[in-house]
Amino acid sequence: MKQKGFNVWIGIAVVLLAFFTLFVVYPLAQVLYKSVLASNTSELTFTLDYFEKFFARKYYWSTLVNSFYVTVASTLLASLIGLPMAYLLRSYKVPCSKYLNILIVISYLSPPFIGAYAWIQLFGRNGFWTKFLTESFGWHVPSIYGFTGIVLVFSLQSFPLIYMYVSGALKNLDNSLNEAAESLGLNAFQRVIKIILPLVMPSLLAGALLVFMRVFSDFGTPMLIGEGFRTFPVLIYTQFMGEVSTDDHFAAALCVIIIAITLLLFFMQRYLASKYAYSMTALKPMEQVEPKGIRKVFAYLFVYGIAFLAILPQLTVIYTSFLETSGGTVYTGNLGFSNYENTLLAKDNNSILNTYIFGLCAISLVVVIGVFVAYLTARKKSFVTEILDTLTMFPYIIPGSVLGISFLYAFNSRPLLLSGTAIIIILSLAIRRMPYTIRSSTAIISQISPSIEEAAISLGSTEFQTFRKVTVPMMLPGVMAGAIMSWITLISELSSSIILYTSSTSTLTVAIYAEVIRSNFGNAAAYSTILTLTSIVSLLLFFKLTKNKDISV
Amino acid sequence: MSVAINIDKVTKIFGKDTIISGLSLAVKPGEFFTLLGPSGCGKTTLLRMIIGFNSIEGGEISIDGKVVNDIPTNLRNMGMVFQNYAIFPHMSVKENVAFGLKNRKISKEEIEQRVDDILDTVKIKHLKDRMPSQLSGGQQQRVALARAIVIHPEVLLMDEPLSNLDAKLRVEMRNAIKLIQKKIGITTIYVTHDQEEALAVSDRIAIMYGGVIQQIGTPQEIYRRPVNTFVATFIGLSNILKTKVAVKNGLQGLSFGDYWVAMPGLAASTYEGSEVIVAVRPEEFFIDEKLTTGIPATIRHSVFLGVNTHYFLELSGGQEIEVIQNTELTNSGVGSKVYLTVDAPKINVFTADGTQNLIAGGRGDETERL
Repeated sequence: MKQKGFNVWIGIAVVLLAFFTLFVVYPLAQVLYKSVLASNTSELTFTLDYFEKFFARKYYWSTLVNSFYVTVASTLLASLIGLPMAYLLRSYKVPCSKYLNILIVISYLSPPFIGAYAWIQLFGRNGFWTKFLTESFGWHVPSIYGFTGIVLVFSLQSFPLIYMYVSGALKNLDNSLNEAAESLGLNAFQRVIKIILPLVMPSLLAGALLVFMRVFSDFGTPMLIGEGFRTFPVLIYTQFMGEVSTDDHFAAALCVIIIAITLLLFFMQRYLASKYAYSMTALKPMEQVEPKGIRKVFAYLFVYGIAFLAILPQLTVIYTSFLETSGGTVYTGNLGFSNYENTLLAKDNNSILNTYIFGLCAISLVVVIGVFVAYLTARKKSFVTEILDTLTMFPYIIPGSVLGISFLYAFNSRPLLLSGTAIIIILSLAIRRMPYTIRSSTAIISQISPSIEEAAISLGSTEFQTFRKVTVPMMLPGVMAGAIMSWITLISELSSSIILYTSSTSTLTVAIYAEVIRSNFGNAAAYSTILTLTSIVSLLLFFKLTKNKDISV
Repeated sequence: MSVAINIDKVTKIFGKDTIISGLSLAVKPGEFFTLLGPSGCGKTTLLRMIIGFNSIEGGEISIDGKVVNDIPTNLRNMGMVFQNYAIFPHMSVKENVAFGLKNRKISKEEIEQRVDDILDTVKIKHLKDRMPSQLSGGQQQRVALARAIVIHPEVLLMDEPLSNLDAKLRVEMRNAIKLIQKKIGITTIYVTHDQEEALAVSDRIAIMYGGVIQQIGTPQEIYRRPVNTFVATFIGLSNILKTKVAVKNGLQGLSFGDYWVAMPGLAASTYEGSEVIVAVRPEEFFIDEKLTTGIPATIRHSVFLGVNTHYFLELSGGQEIEVIQNTELTNSGVGSKVYLTVDAPKINVFTADGTQNLIAGGRGDETERL
């Protein structure tokens, strides 16, 4: 039956398709185009020189190898920390576990490079503990820079992701499975290996992929703590933004390489996830028991120890934000608020306000588009909406810095001159977050029975009225919860903002990064504290809104 | 003021599959009409075509002579009660019921009045300000019914409305639905797979199977004279026996071995030796130990249910049959060899392929033969 409402939906689908074509496909096409276009001729000549250049010189390709080392090591370590953490907190009664949970989430939500800079403050060349240990005991403290530092920061930064995924899966694991295994003669350790581990494996893999992508494409951390150990994103950044010898085309080729890798990973994960997918809903979740004896000691030591290490950078940053400095760099040892005076009250400093405005604009855009796309793909299945579904997932595999670079390529000239504006940053933030919001919105909408919408139509509503009065209000609580989580991730975004910002569109993370690079640690700490505080307040709002629902990112 | 619904040779095609092909039926004004059939028979598909959620690939559906094929659902003025109730979870009972009225630009006072009246009719006025999550299944069902009829629809459609309720509530609600429907006098189409429910509430029933209507009739007609073996076994229980027509003393009858029973109502097309299928309901057998003629059988086991007793017997050919007898002081026990006779006026005889009832009275109902 043809209805007027249906045409409205086709119209919306086409508009959304145009939007994603312009802001996802077109920029990526630009990158691809640049990567194979000879730059020194006036004619259009196809060339693979840039790719050859990359693979011919060890100086370049070694960064890719480094990136793989760092990423594999960090993902493994994050899994080795996150998995037992989730299991211990789900199966044992641990005092203050609720607060531990919040601490872990907060440690995850801050940008990784803040972790890097905080660890430098503690164990770097002039770090607090380095000095203390060397001067008091004459100990030689091993260098934190390079591979070790990067892996340390990334593992502690990323294990919460594994923790959250596995913890969610464990919650859905019915205790009767455990009991059945026990009755069939398996001891506690065998049960973990043979029953629990295989069942949480899909979640573990999904979490691990996210960690892998995040670590693989992060450039702030290796930039700060890597020193001579250069990773691939660092190479991209320096090729594109560096002070010497920048090469647009070469940077574009690097972008193509990294997209190819993330794409491959994405499909690998999809394949693995589909192979090991279990649907579980626990009637009776695992019971938390009181640990006994030596187990208790180890469990508590592990859980509290890891949580402490994870939150240590935040504590360091908050503490140092109250330390007086002379000239911004050297701590005088006195406590005070001068860092806040220098940041909050500084003239021409929009970065705090910008962060809030950009974040809110991007979040509104993401939520509106996300709800529409989810509705279209779930309820109005057609060829157009299927393309839309695929297109909107693209940003999921595009590293932030690549997105930033592609935006600059695409929107650097009239009539699409957006570079340097706030709009380009808002758009990049929105596009980066879009896949997550669309996924969660689609999950929410598939929970709503279509007959509820049909009921509204049978009572005289048009399709659009039904969408407005019934579907959207029913989706809203879930979408709002998702929006808060998106907001927290957006305000701590660095990798695309750092490429797209100009002095008037700087954000908090950009400001922190810039201050750290200038060794103005006092100001950086103050900015970081403001960011962390915002995250914590938002997180509390999330818990209030969802009545302590589990966090999904 | 009630409307007639006429469905004329409608066809439903999903992709490459034809679900319904050229189906026709007519519902009388004010009638409680039920579509009954096993799952997958196309009854819900047909219902959704009537309200407009499914497109119509051929034929016409008309309400009081007005073709509705191209009228969008929201303008068809039909009320629908859904299997899962489809109560808007973010609206109170009152808001749910008022939803359809608000779409109709009716004054606030009148909305208030009509909501109160209908909540009174379905007996949940005291729950007016509750949220759906605070309601029981039966109460939600009443809200769904009130919401569907408060808009004064021309037609009321119900899609398995009782299937999510427990057994006791189901009986209570089906009586309530029947009463309210009669009170309002609205033409109603009701979909169910539960034959007992259909028999209890309907004025007339259409039995559907494989997208085709097998029989239309009152509950009594359908139970007494099913048109084919599918209906005979789907409605109630029938023991199916294969036998032949035998003429004795110039009378047509059926022979079961030595046992012969006169069947004066058999169709003229039958002749001595015609192979037929006989459908005998469990209560249409008589068990007697003293008789010497009849169908010989052995009682394998029995289930005592108070008012009556169910017997499971084995015929000499090995076939299992079920018989229900009133509980007497001296019922036969397990292992007894008995003789069975049939209640000839009640039993049904079908052609050997089971597609036609051969009892002349079987055509006495109004079923359009298909």
